[in-house]
Amino acid sequence: MAGTGKAHLRDSPDVLLRIEDLVVEFPVGRTGLKVNAVSGISLDVLRGETLGLVGESGCGKSTTGRAIMQLPRPTSGSVVFEGSELTRLTGDEMREARTRMQMIFQDPISSLNPRRKVRQIVMEPLNIWKRGTDAERSQKVDSILEEVGIDPTRAAESQPHQFSGGQCQRISIARSLVLDPSLIICDEPVSALDVSVQAQVLNLLEDLKAEYGLTLIFIAHDLAVVKNISDRVAVMYLGKICEVAPSDVLYENPAHHYTSVLLNSIPVPDPEVAVTKTAIEGEPPSPVLPPPGCRFNPRCPAAQDICRTEEPQLRAVGDGHFVACHFPTVTPVELSTR
Amino acid sequence: MTTTIDATTAPEDAAAPLPAAPTPPAKKRKLKWPGFGIVFAVGFLGSLTFLAIFADYLSFIPYPDAKIPGPDGRPGRYEWGPGTAAWFGTDGVSGDVFSKVIYGARTSLQVGIFATVFGILVGGFLGVIAGYFRGWVDRIVMIITDCLLALPALLLAIILVDRLSDLAEDASWLGWLSRKWTIVITLGILATAPLARIVRAQTLSLREREFVLAARSLGAKPGRVMFREILPNLIPAILTVGFTGLSILIAAEGALAFLGLGVEVGTPTWGKLIDENRNKIDEAWWATIFPCLMLFLTVLSFNIIGDRLSRRFDIRQAGV
Amino acid sequence: MSDLIQASSRDIDGPLLVLKDVTTHFKTPRGLVRAVDGVSFTLDRGKALGIVGESGSGKTILSRSIMGLLPPRGTVRGGSITFEGREIGNLGRKEMRSVWGKEMAMIFQDPMTSLNPVMKIGRQIAEPLQIHLGMTKQNAWATAERLLQDVRIPEAKRRLEQYPHEMSGGMRQRVMIAIALACGPTALFADEPTTALDVTVQAQILDLLGEQRRDRNMSLVLVTHDLGVVAGHTDEIAVMYGGKLVEKATTKGLFANMKMPYTEALLNSIPRLEDRSHTRLSAIAGRPPDLVNPPKGCRFAPRCPYAQPKCQNEEPPLVPTAEDPNHLYACWYPVGSPENTEIKVRIAASKSEFAAAAGGN
Ligand SMILES: Nc1ncnc2c1ncn2[C@@H]1O[C@H](COP(=O)(O)OP(=O)(O)OP(=O)(O)O)[C@@H](O)[C@H]1O
Ligand SMILES: Nc1ncnc2c1ncn2[C@@H]1O[C@H](COP(=O)(O)OP(=O)(O)O)[C@@H](O)[C@H]1O
Ligand code: SF4
Ligand code: SF4
Ligand SMILES: [Mg+2]
Ligand SMILES: [Mg+2]
Repeated sequence: MAGTGKAHLRDSPDVLLRIEDLVVEFPVGRTGLKVNAVSGISLDVLRGETLGLVGESGCGKSTTGRAIMQLPRPTSGSVVFEGSELTRLTGDEMREARTRMQMIFQDPISSLNPRRKVRQIVMEPLNIWKRGTDAERSQKVDSILEEVGIDPTRAAESQPHQFSGGQCQRISIARSLVLDPSLIICDEPVSALDVSVQAQVLNLLEDLKAEYGLTLIFIAHDLAVVKNISDRVAVMYLGKICEVAPSDVLYENPAHHYTSVLLNSIPVPDPEVAVTKTAIEGEPPSPVLPPPGCRFNPRCPAAQDICRTEEPQLRAVGDGHFVACHFPTVTPVELSTR
Repeated sequence: MTTTIDATTAPEDAAAPLPAAPTPPAKKRKLKWPGFGIVFAVGFLGSLTFLAIFADYLSFIPYPDAKIPGPDGRPGRYEWGPGTAAWFGTDGVSGDVFSKVIYGARTSLQVGIFATVFGILVGGFLGVIAGYFRGWVDRIVMIITDCLLALPALLLAIILVDRLSDLAEDASWLGWLSRKWTIVITLGILATAPLARIVRAQTLSLREREFVLAARSLGAKPGRVMFREILPNLIPAILTVGFTGLSILIAAEGALAFLGLGVEVGTPTWGKLIDENRNKIDEAWWATIFPCLMLFLTVLSFNIIGDRLSRRFDIRQAGV
Repeated sequence: MSDLIQASSRDIDGPLLVLKDVTTHFKTPRGLVRAVDGVSFTLDRGKALGIVGESGSGKTILSRSIMGLLPPRGTVRGGSITFEGREIGNLGRKEMRSVWGKEMAMIFQDPMTSLNPVMKIGRQIAEPLQIHLGMTKQNAWATAERLLQDVRIPEAKRRLEQYPHEMSGGMRQRVMIAIALACGPTALFADEPTTALDVTVQAQILDLLGEQRRDRNMSLVLVTHDLGVVAGHTDEIAVMYGGKLVEKATTKGLFANMKMPYTEALLNSIPRLEDRSHTRLSAIAGRPPDLVNPPKGCRFAPRCPYAQPKCQNEEPPLVPTAEDPNHLYACWYPVGSPENTEIKVRIAASKSEFAAAAGGN
């Protein structure tokens, strides 16, 4: 499979997670066809960094996040986390490794078991791993609940449905923190929330990140949200990476045509600006039969013949700025040796 | 994409500011009339159970094998209609129908309840592992349930009762396997397949829910995920199916008795009563109608209770 | 059925929809939930109105009150709702049936659950046409195909034969819009139509709604929690908080001259693309009020950075601004007033002090 390249991978001792040529495919019934959910992406995340992952619905963001957790295991490719190759771990080793990375999901209510008390839910990871004495566990859970802004006494006697969406998301965050992970994968944690609650949760994540020294992978479809929280952003389209850049650079200087589309779709709270924007037409093609060449070519305003046959590779267009496009809106630079 | 949280579905959304989120006021238990249906159902099953258990000590219930003398002073066939001599009349062997109905409840309820428990334990277990592990486990469970469902239930029951009885005769360690337990196991096996199917379907959808994924990503082992995370969410479905199944099984015991596959001679059950007397329904309706009525009311009561319980366990409805 | 509407006196020149002091309360075990508490406004023909507010501020219940789509049990309604000059606030379900579809239609937030999963798309669009407009089956299906083309679904003919699960979320929302448009409503209510969709599809759906509104000269009520969504797609905006209308103005007027601290706070909590990354968002602390026991004075007071003692005790009335009689707001110390400015300056000073202290370390 023609990869989208690895030019953007960094060679630093600080790399916490490194994914190479990750492929995830799902069979379509018994037809023999397959959904190409993720088609050979490579990414790395440095310790303490926040990597944003943006793209349209169905482009494989969640699948990437889950494949990192090996839930389910990817079809092929390598995932190296804290120096160990996760795809080669046995079931039990993998269970152990999962405590070092955690996931927060989009739907705050459905990610908590509706039949259990909230405090129990947050305590569960400690019970699973039999960490500490009962008293220590209680103390840890209470302090983390306080930290995320949930009253521990109320948590002890209430079930998730008695909390609002924003509060449920705080509870999920608390649960993901109790095992002291180093990496948290946030799969659209604010997409189901109001703008005001969204701001609270984003601020909370920033605070917790600083306090616990976390590394985050932040998945969302709204580039404005991703830009706010991330240091570096990877744009995905139909199972491939289009562009990787530091978040400010991505906004100031988008190089991929799809990135411009995403930037253009964000609702701007200003009537003067908002009316001048037009949305892109159509929807992404089916991941069962992705178009050959550049996967964005059927919708790209700048597509030419080569785009329909040859797959573009990621190459540098600036410092830490990489794009996979034959005709990027920013001129590529020839960086000698990396 | 998943749904967004709508305040309409979470009325608690509008509580006081976060820092001082108030604990909900301690629940005040006010006694409220729970509705006629449920009061009737509980009352009926309660008194039936009470009578059935203590029938031996209650003087107004004759023994089922006692002969009630007819108007002429001697026992005969169907001599009394419902009345003071025999509340539900007498049957073809001068037995008191009321007494037989009460004693019949012993066996019928026991058979129904134990068979249902058997079905829930076995079917529930098979369903959960099939739905959770999928793959070959699923395939095997599905083959078993398919076979159970493909054969006509009655035929299957006949074969099972027959085989199990033979087994009990041959193997000495199966001495406890009386005819009653044979029927319990037979009916239990019949109940297994639909229960396993329903539990499997529910498990399949629950295992994709994010809280299950969250538990797995916390490193929980499959057993823990199945029984701590998934199972509690299956309870409403199991209850509904279980209680409906219970009523069907009680009726099924009657059907087996029809075919002569009843429990030991001398032990009355509703099914046997109906079977013995149904030919005489023109002259002595009471001997058939009263056992039928009991069966009907019992089935109805179990259905009402099952319905209520499953609503009680439905978080959305119970919470508001 | 349609005679009913024809017979009623139609007020063609007046505003399309007039709400006077509309209240919708729910009786619950916890007490009376004042979901909508005295809301008045008018909506003109062909105009688009945005209703904005946090979750639980009563937006959905307000639009459902107008549509007559409230749960029947335990609902207490008050005030008057006139649509085309006819009082509809007290109509029963039966009478409302002549209004739904032809006069008012609604699309909901969740495109996944608002379509019937076991019915073909074509039938879901055609059936109301057959029932409400008495079309023949062929006619209805032909119209359904045209409607799908209107909402920009490619290969409309083939799509008619598909089931909802064969379509993406955005497609399904388009189908919902097609169903809502089928009987040619005068007003369309869209309750968070794009909240469950991603931004690219959201932009498409909003464009589609705007285009259909202009083509059909229809009024649109767009309910959302995101001021960004309404900015480019409405003529007027009504901001709700705690069941009350707290600010209403033309879209331009509102953004140019925001009066209510709540509106300002909503606007500020949206992450801006032009801000550098890791810019701290100004979230509104706390949560919307409990509608069983709302605060006595201004309902926003417990969360308002500019709250004064007066705010806690007296409820601010809805008053017009000095410049624009159509710009209404309910606040004692609106944005731009001396008190507000003073506190703003103070907050900014303490922030920079904090930043300086942090930088010094
Ligand atoms: N278990 C599965 N079986 C088959 N196809 C799947 C499965 N999980 C995901 N897919 C498909 O893989 C593709 C990528 O899905 P994914 O959930 O990763 O998208 P996403 O980018 O997270 O979208 P969203 O914004 O909607 O969450 C989609 O086409 C999806 O339908
Ligand atoms: N059927 C109901 N019974 C009781 N309270 C309700 C009911 N429906 C909505 N509410 C309450 O009314 C308030 C407003 O709800 P809603 O209009 O859905 O808010 P929004 O759409 O602004 O998010 C909320 O506090 C909600 O909990
Ligand atoms: S490679 Fe071609 S089709 Fe793809 S984004 Fe670039 S210009 Fe467009
Ligand atoms: S009335 Fe007072 S509390 Fe309410 S918004 Fe205005 S300043 Fe804030
Ligand atoms: Mg996703
Ligand atoms: Mg709503």
